[in-house]
Parts: sequence; C-alpha cells; structure tokens
Amino acid sequence: MACFVSLGVLLGSGIYVARISRAGSYLSDDPTTCINCHVMKPYYASWQHSSHARVATCNDCHVPHDTTLNKYLFKAKDGMRHSTIFTLRKEPQVLRATEEAKHVIQGNCVRCHTELVSELNGINVHGGDRSCVDCHRETPHGRASSLSSAPNTLTPGLPRTGFDSFKNPESTEKSR
Amino acid sequence: MNSDNQSSRPRGSALGWWVLGGSALGVVALGLLASSILERREEAVVGRLTIKQPVGEWESDNSKWGVNFPREYNTWLATEKMDGETKYGGNVERDHLANNPKLVVMWAGYAFAKGYNAPRGHMHAIDDVKNTPRRNDKTPATCWTCKSPDVPRVMARDGVKEYYAEKFDHYVQDVTNPIGCADCHDEKTMALQISRPALKEALTRQGKDIAKLTHQEMRSLVCAQCHVEYYFKGKKEQYLTFPWDKGMTAENMEEYYAESGHVDWTHAISGAKMIKMQHPDYEVFSQGVHAARGVSCADCHMPYKQEGGVKFSDHQIQSPLLNIENSCQVCHKWSEKDIKDRVYSMQAKHHEVMDAAEVAITNLHLSIGEAAQKGATEEQLAKPRELVSKAQMYWDYISANNGFGFHAPQESVRVLSKALNIASEGRLVLAGVRTKLGLAAVASTPDIGTKEKAQAYIKPYVDAQNAKKKAEEAKAAAEEQQKKQVKNAPKMKTISR
Repeated sequence: MACFVSLGVLLGSGIYVARISRAGSYLSDDPTTCINCHVMKPYYASWQHSSHARVATCNDCHVPHDTTLNKYLFKAKDGMRHSTIFTLRKEPQVLRATEEAKHVIQGNCVRCHTELVSELNGINVHGGDRSCVDCHRETPHGRASSLSSAPNTLTPGLPRTGFDSFKNPESTEKSR
Repeated sequence: MNSDNQSSRPRGSALGWWVLGGSALGVVALGLLASSILERREEAVVGRLTIKQPVGEWESDNSKWGVNFPREYNTWLATEKMDGETKYGGNVERDHLANNPKLVVMWAGYAFAKGYNAPRGHMHAIDDVKNTPRRNDKTPATCWTCKSPDVPRVMARDGVKEYYAEKFDHYVQDVTNPIGCADCHDEKTMALQISRPALKEALTRQGKDIAKLTHQEMRSLVCAQCHVEYYFKGKKEQYLTFPWDKGMTAENMEEYYAESGHVDWTHAISGAKMIKMQHPDYEVFSQGVHAARGVSCADCHMPYKQEGGVKFSDHQIQSPLLNIENSCQVCHKWSEKDIKDRVYSMQAKHHEVMDAAEVAITNLHLSIGEAAQKGATEEQLAKPRELVSKAQMYWDYISANNGFGFHAPQESVRVLSKALNIASEGRLVLAGVRTKLGLAAVASTPDIGTKEKAQAYIKPYVDAQNAKKKAEEAKAAAEEQQKKQVKNAPKMKTISR
C-alpha cells in the first residue's frame, strides 16, 4: 500500500514536471518548442523574419531527415545536451553549431535545394571543407549571433502550462 | 510454511522502504527540476529594471549607482582584475621601459623616460595616476581629468578654467573615486553623456552638433573623452585641448601642432623640439575597418551579455582578446583560436615595423647629439632635428595606441613606415654634416640594453639640460625683478608727493 502511495507521489511529480516543461512538445516539429527555453528567442526571431520561415521549421534544418529513427535519436541526444546546459546555467553567450550539427544542417540545405546544387559541378556539396553557410552566412539567422542580439523581440511568448505564478503577457494563446 | 511466511513479510516491508526512499529522492529531484524550470520560465517574462534608489546630481560614488544596476556594477568591479595577459597587452601592469629601453632615449628630457607602464583596468585609475614617477608638485590638475567621476563635480564647483589652472595636489582630497558611472551616464535618464568639456569643445570646433549624436556614436564617444590625443594648452592655463581642428589623422595633427607652435619638450640629447602623442585610440580606430562598418568601442570592449534573461552591457572594459566569445564571435564565426592567431599575426607584423622605426629614431637622436658635441652648428642641425621630431611624432601617434595595430592595421603600418622613412631621411641629411666633421655617418649605439642602463646613459644629458633651464629661469627672474624696481621707482615718488 505504502509502495503504491510513494509511486503515486512520484508519478504525480513526474506528470507535473512533464506538464511544466512541455515535454510532449519535444516530439513535435512545432518551432515554438524551441523557445520553451528563452535563450533560443533571438534565434527564433531571426528565423521567423527570414524567408525560410515560410517553408522550413527549426527541425527541417537542425535534425537529420534520412530516417525517422535517426531523426529522433539526434533529437533526443541534442535535446538532452541543450536541456542539461540550460538547467546548469552553463549556456554560452553566442551559440554556434557543433561539428555534428553543421553536418546535419549542410545535409538539409542540399536536401531541399537539390536542383540548385546539382548544377554546381565540381563542388562537393555533401561535405568537404566548404558548406553553404560559409558564403550564405546570413541565412537565415542574420549576421550577428548572440543571446543578446534580439532579447526583447516579438516572438510568441511561453505557451501556458497552467502552473506559472507570474503573469504571462506574451503567451501564445493570447497571440501577440 | 509458517517460517516462510514470516521471512517473506520482512522482505516485503524492506522493499517497501526502498520504494519509499527511492520515491522520496525522485520527488526531491523532480521538485528541484520543476523549480528550476519555473524559475527559468519566469526569466523569460519578468526581469525588468527597477530603480531602487534614485541617483543624485554629481554622484561620483559608483556604489550608489550600483544599488540600481547590480549587473553593470559587478562587471565594472571586475576591472580591478589583473589576471589576463595577451601577447602585447591585457589587464596586467607591464613596464614598457624595461621591455623596450630604446624608449628611454627617445623620451630623454621628458617625464616618460622615468616611468611608463601599460595601463591596468579603470578601477586602478586613481592609484596609478598618483603613483606614476612622471608626477611631481608642479603637475597640473589637468592630469586628474580622465581619472575620476569626481572631476565633473569639481569642475562645476570651481569652474573649468580655474580647475585646469590648479595644481594636481590641490585636488587629492576631492578626487577619490576611480573612473566609473557618472563619467559616461546621465544620473537621471542613464543615457550616455559627454561629461568632459575637452571633447565637447573639440566636436563643436569641428562643427558637430552634440545634441544630434546617435546612440551608436555615443557608444564610442564616451570613450573618446579620454582615449584620444590631447595636449595642455598654455603654460599657465594648462587647458586640456584635443588637436582635432584639421582632422584626426597623423598628418592633420602634425599640421595642427606646426600652426599652433606647441612644443611638449626639448630632447635632452638631440635638442629637437618634440611633441608627445598620448594614446589616440579613438582617432586611429576611426580609420579602421570596424569603424567603417559602424562598430563602436563598446561593441567589442563592453559586449552585450545575457544573465537570467536580462540583457546588459558587460562593464568589465578590457581587451576583447580576453573575451573573444562575446566580442568577436558575435559577428565572426571562426574558432577562438583562429581569431586569436589572426589578431596576433597582425600585431606581430605591426611590431616589426614599429621596432625598425624605433631603432632609426633612437639612432638619429644619438647621431645629432654627438654631432652637436663635436661642433656642428645650429643651422647644420636644424633639418635633422626637424626630421627626428616629425618621425617620432608619427611613430608615437601609433606607438601610444592601446590596440597595438589592431584598431586600424593598414593605417598603423602606413604611419609607422612614414616615421621610419622620415627618420631615414634625417639620417641621410645628418650623414653629410657628420662626414664634414670627420665623424662616421651614424653614431654607434651605446649599451642601453636595460631600462637602468638607458636611464644612466641619458642622465648627464638631462642634468645638463636641467641646469641650463634653471640658469635661464634665474636670469629671467633677475631681469623681471630689475624691471619691477625701475617701474616702481617713479610710483613711489608720486605717492611721496
């Protein structure tokens, strides 16, 4: 009986944490998932104002799309890394893609722009020492990269969880 | 069977305790995680500025501002640190004269030959200006101008002109707070402001409307209140003045000084009339690629930062090489190592040209000095003296900079090359004179391998110069006295009548 009570408390806590962290959203491709943590806001804002926002979500570029398994494996791994750094307050001021992430991004450039890059004879578009963003370096996040580059920009606010004690004027449900 | 039941019961309850303990730990861990998540969610929404205690007019105590701006204040406090050395600079104290004893000869007869250290952080401003061997009881109050937010207050109280004309020692009690908040900020609006008259006056003379300066311009101009070339105009007035009327290049300043006739000192060895340049950081930076792209001083030296969802500018003003991530990498996506290597390679090349110019200028001073001793006439030495003074002015315009070439690499090397070229021309002209006197084309370099040796070498020259100056002053005073007596004599008569 005591076992059940204990496990029940643990389960309840787990459900609560899952709810306030919007754990479910991480399974989706919704870009607002990425601004569950406010450090991503400037990057969300620069994406949102770019031409890519009309056709591509965060996941379209930042996770691999070769197989579904790979997609979720990469998401899980990268997500764990991000959430650990954020929880420990170790986030750097300027976010830069890791080598692995660069590879994924480059693959996704080519995935959509196949027709264009197929005409670039002789250029190793699948890797090598040059990547698309070496030249297209303002695509799509702009020239300046920093947590402070657009701190008070108009991005959707935090989606409500129903447990916040603060007023949330920027909530998506209110839609700003 | 009974015994089996008995033994399984305790086993069951032990498991129960384990589950309870494990759940408790799990709940604690989840609770911590939950509070962290909520806290960080809150950061995204709240965290706006609140003024706890309004700042009074002329408030120079930086901690009073710090109550309202803890992040800015705490990072400003960090300018006290002396933990970061870069290849050529950083926040540590370096003895330039010990590292480069040629400088002692180049400044012979001027206070810089006594001591010249690399600057430490702003927090050390008061201590360092008090302790420099360049200061004595004749030092004017003007030397305080850039060291403290107490200065604008004192200027408002005593008058700007009156302040400059005072002696340094007069204000030791008044000026106590190191460079801080009020130097750059308006105490009511916190907007950036120019608190020092010299910059306002220089900009006004250039025809600029101070009220129309943009915020981005101000993010450099607050630094340009001090990080500029300046001189003290007038022997009595000691009025802080920027030589910007013709423009901000080395050539513009040469023209300005030639017209104004200002001389900082007479070189003790060569007898040339010299100009000392003082850290024209803003002027040189203005000629570089970063300025051309609209980057301000603060963008790299006080980069923006985020802490707990609040954006603020890092007030630990320092070399960007000690904070490459926040300064350079915001725009340049290369690795820290690549960026650092690139900067150091620029600075190494810069130093190569600078060193060559120093060797030529030092030798020219020595060669002129020797020729003068061996009977060269003033007329014969006029041109070489003019050239050594000019060469050193150009060299100093770059050498006195804090960026070590980085602020405007091409312009820096161009001006240094010009200095080297002028010094070489001086040596050529002088070689003719020296040959006529039966001397070698250039003087051989004495042993000035250390600061002490170099200072010992220039000492007899400096002593002779001081003795000559004293004798002249005594003579002038005696003449003045005589004039007064002649003037006073008839006056007394009229009174007696």
